[in-house]
Amino acid sequence: MATVTASTPRALPTGLLKHRAVHKLLLIALAAAVLVPLANARWASGSWPAALTVDLTKPLTSASDWIINNRDSHPLFLYFFGYVSNAVVISVHAVYVVLLGAGWAGVTALGALVAWRVAGVRLALGTTAAFLACGLLGMWVPTMQTLALMVVAVLASVVVGVLLGLAAGLSRRMDKILRPVLDTMQVMPAYAYLLPVVLVFGMGVPAAVLATVVYAAPPMARLTALGLQGADKEVLEAVESLGTTARQRLLTARIPLARKELMLGLNQTIMMALSMAVIASVIGAAGLGDRVYQALASVDVGAALAAGIPIVLLAVVLDRVTGAAGDGTEGQGRAGWAYALAGTVVVAVAGRLLGRLDWPDAWTLNIAEPVNRAVDWMTAHLYSGVPVVGGTADWAGHFTTWVLDPVRTGLQGLPWWSVLLIVATLAWLIGTWRTALTAVLAMAAIGVLGVWTPALDTLSQVLAAVAVTLVLGFATAVAAARSDRVERLLRPVLDVFQTMPQFVYLIPVVALFGVGRAPAAAAAVVYALPAVVRITTQGLRQVDPAAMESSRSLGATSWQQLRQVQLPLARPALLLAVNQGVVLVLAVVVIGGLVGGGALGYDTVFGLAQGDLATGLVAGAAIVCLGLVLDRVTQPTERRTGKGA
Amino acid sequence: MTTTATLENPPTTDNPVFSVDGLWKVFGPKADRVPEDAELSALDPADLRARTGCTAAVRDVSFDVRKGEVFVVMGLSGSGKSTLVRCLTRLIEPTAGTICIDGEDVRAMDKARLRELRRHRAAMVFQHFGLLPHRTVLDNVAYGLEIQGMGKAERRARAAEVVTKVGLEGMEQRKPSQLSGGQQQRVGLARALAVDPQVLLFDEPFSALDPLIRRDMQEEVVRLHREEGRTMVFITHDLSEALKLGDRIALMRDGKVVQLGTPEEIVGSPADGYVREFVRDVPREHVMTVRRAMKPGDCAGPAHPGGLAPDAVVADAIKVVAGSGRPACVVENGRCLGVVDHERLLGVVAGTELRGGAAGTEPRKEAV
Repeated sequence: MATVTASTPRALPTGLLKHRAVHKLLLIALAAAVLVPLANARWASGSWPAALTVDLTKPLTSASDWIINNRDSHPLFLYFFGYVSNAVVISVHAVYVVLLGAGWAGVTALGALVAWRVAGVRLALGTTAAFLACGLLGMWVPTMQTLALMVVAVLASVVVGVLLGLAAGLSRRMDKILRPVLDTMQVMPAYAYLLPVVLVFGMGVPAAVLATVVYAAPPMARLTALGLQGADKEVLEAVESLGTTARQRLLTARIPLARKELMLGLNQTIMMALSMAVIASVIGAAGLGDRVYQALASVDVGAALAAGIPIVLLAVVLDRVTGAAGDGTEGQGRAGWAYALAGTVVVAVAGRLLGRLDWPDAWTLNIAEPVNRAVDWMTAHLYSGVPVVGGTADWAGHFTTWVLDPVRTGLQGLPWWSVLLIVATLAWLIGTWRTALTAVLAMAAIGVLGVWTPALDTLSQVLAAVAVTLVLGFATAVAAARSDRVERLLRPVLDVFQTMPQFVYLIPVVALFGVGRAPAAAAAVVYALPAVVRITTQGLRQVDPAAMESSRSLGATSWQQLRQVQLPLARPALLLAVNQGVVLVLAVVVIGGLVGGGALGYDTVFGLAQGDLATGLVAGAAIVCLGLVLDRVTQPTERRTGKGA
Repeated sequence: MTTTATLENPPTTDNPVFSVDGLWKVFGPKADRVPEDAELSALDPADLRARTGCTAAVRDVSFDVRKGEVFVVMGLSGSGKSTLVRCLTRLIEPTAGTICIDGEDVRAMDKARLRELRRHRAAMVFQHFGLLPHRTVLDNVAYGLEIQGMGKAERRARAAEVVTKVGLEGMEQRKPSQLSGGQQQRVGLARALAVDPQVLLFDEPFSALDPLIRRDMQEEVVRLHREEGRTMVFITHDLSEALKLGDRIALMRDGKVVQLGTPEEIVGSPADGYVREFVRDVPREHVMTVRRAMKPGDCAGPAHPGGLAPDAVVADAIKVVAGSGRPACVVENGRCLGVVDHERLLGVVAGTELRGGAAGTEPRKEAV
């Protein structure tokens, strides 16, 4: 009962916590003492009281019916969404036709030459190898479908992002309005964006492209604004002192000075667009993601891997090439680009003349069967009964029964008001009363939406996965921070893992652990781990060397150093790592609905698959709320104020 | 505190380039009321802050910058000198007072006119250079001309000339990041010179540089001034730099000008305890001239031994007097103005020379 909060202040030695924290706790305890008996008397129930839910199924179903019925007649659709939708379809199709028209040789040559101009010979070779591998795996056409969708989505995202970023970077007021919106969009799981666009556009390419734009434009906008605001004040002053007009300042100074951020924004937008373009297969985008989706649906790991490898290759190549464009010096003259273009045209024409536009069937390598044989072998030999260590399926089973189930039962067993109380306490202790209020309202909204039980199920998976992520992540990070060798070994691994789209992580975990909640959690751990390790390592390494040196000179052991100097000084980084870990884990746990994760993620997929948009939308909204709660509960105040400055 | 700006008003034939009168810059909420209110404007900084939340960076400052002179504004950090120089071209909008350039009211200018002023009449050199990192040296120097709308070939030719003038030939195609601090500041100087401004404004241009480079750059400025005779307003916190470069120095403290005069006047007759404390360690023999040290009166001899110019510094006179072992004459246009001997010269070095003995010093002759 109220012990959760009442006992906390007593248990804490007063000297340990700052006075303010105790103050907050007392206030919350006081509020709880008044509100809890009231709430308990009125709506005494363990789960969220039915009296406090609002059933949105009917209005949502009728809204979606109305949209479906009016899609072809209502002026809003005819003259706005219709045009948007047509424009998207036409442009994606046009890009697709051009890519196919250039033939596999032309596209490969174009990719390689662009990589050569931007990033040098090594990446050009890597790009060639990646494209050829896509062909070899028999995935040329899906790769081109994904690329066509990406090209359109990235262009649109960049335009939208730059415009928003310019507005926020140049006007203080716009910045104030846009910043919290973009901040929040950044922490939303990709999954949550799918349903609203489906509601308006229906399943298909337009919805996929628009969901991608909505997901991928925020980083461009944020980084554009950041670059514009971060410009060297004295350079701007010097430029102004020479009598520039506002436009000249923007074009000759502010935008060039923000080049690094703009390129980083482009890089992030491309990576997020790829990630989303793959996930959008759930709402009818053809391409690589669709192949993975279909294969996972029938637990055909071999086929999923054949489509998954091109995704990973595409991700790595795109990331490296755009990343190199960011740090490299500017283009070394136009002649090189002209050669590159000419080379592409020559190769494309040659391919056409030779009648070799499509990837030759004879050159494909069927990896699905051998992989599936290997998986079968694994199922037979590694799943269970391996002496001493047990099998992978056993691990998954143990994890489910010993960790996931108790956490879920515990969470669902908690009285609903105590969950709110815990959320409020955590959010207030770590942030301001405003973050606490947002968190509590978001949590309550989940209850009101009537998805309290599945949401707590999702939450239990998130908590378990976050705990595993943090233990593994902090341990790895401490090792990497203490030894250069470990860090050198780790860096390329982290680089690759961080560029991969969320979807891809499902393939190996299904192979290893089958389907269910444990593999979903495992995929989430793998996805979130690199970010946690990286942020923590950086935080530990950036600890003031003078402080480290002075503690060493006092004769501290390395354990004392870690505990008394490094960890306390790296606290902001650790908190950020927790925050990122939670946000990333949630993003994958809900996708885990595809491989038997159940709960909110499954409701969303189910809603999409059955055309039952009401269920899906409610689940999507609950995911958004859960994302808000988790972000606010783990978001230290410093980060907010730091950004506001 | 009393305003002790020793405003001298010498009869000059030229109109001043910059004429600043009663200038205020107050930061904070409702800043306008501070200069208007006699009571508020008399408060010292801490009280003003407590009462209104405002900070007065520049308080009732008046001075004229004459054509062709190097006018130094000197003060410690926080004294308001950088704000003051930014007010001259309204990079920071002044709160009250008047600023005239060639008799034209700067504060009344509209946007287009103000741009015209910044483009052609006053160019500024910044402490941290303010170069555009993505442009080459040549394009940085040509930048001012580019925004005036000059064609590419023409502005590059002009810029190349200026690059040569500041001693950077051969580095035209480098990026600022490939240059040393001193070289970067030469680019900053070249960029300002390229637009051929009437006045050059320097905001602590050399304080980010190493001492040796700083001396080189100071000599560069002295050379440029000698060659071109351009009017300069120079902000610095370095007293020796101020004494070395300045024809006249305005010494600022807490936003006010506490003394305005030639280096010799500031060192020789400090206006108050603050200034005296400030100039205490200055090697006086390098600042004071023999005009001020001499015993006035004709030596009544035909030979004028020593033959020192009145603007020669005492250190030079010591060499002459110590070498010959007897007093030396101060000669101007073949006429003997006075005599300096051991006693007079030592008095200057020790700081015990008679005050008022040379109080009637006329201002230094203006550079042509």
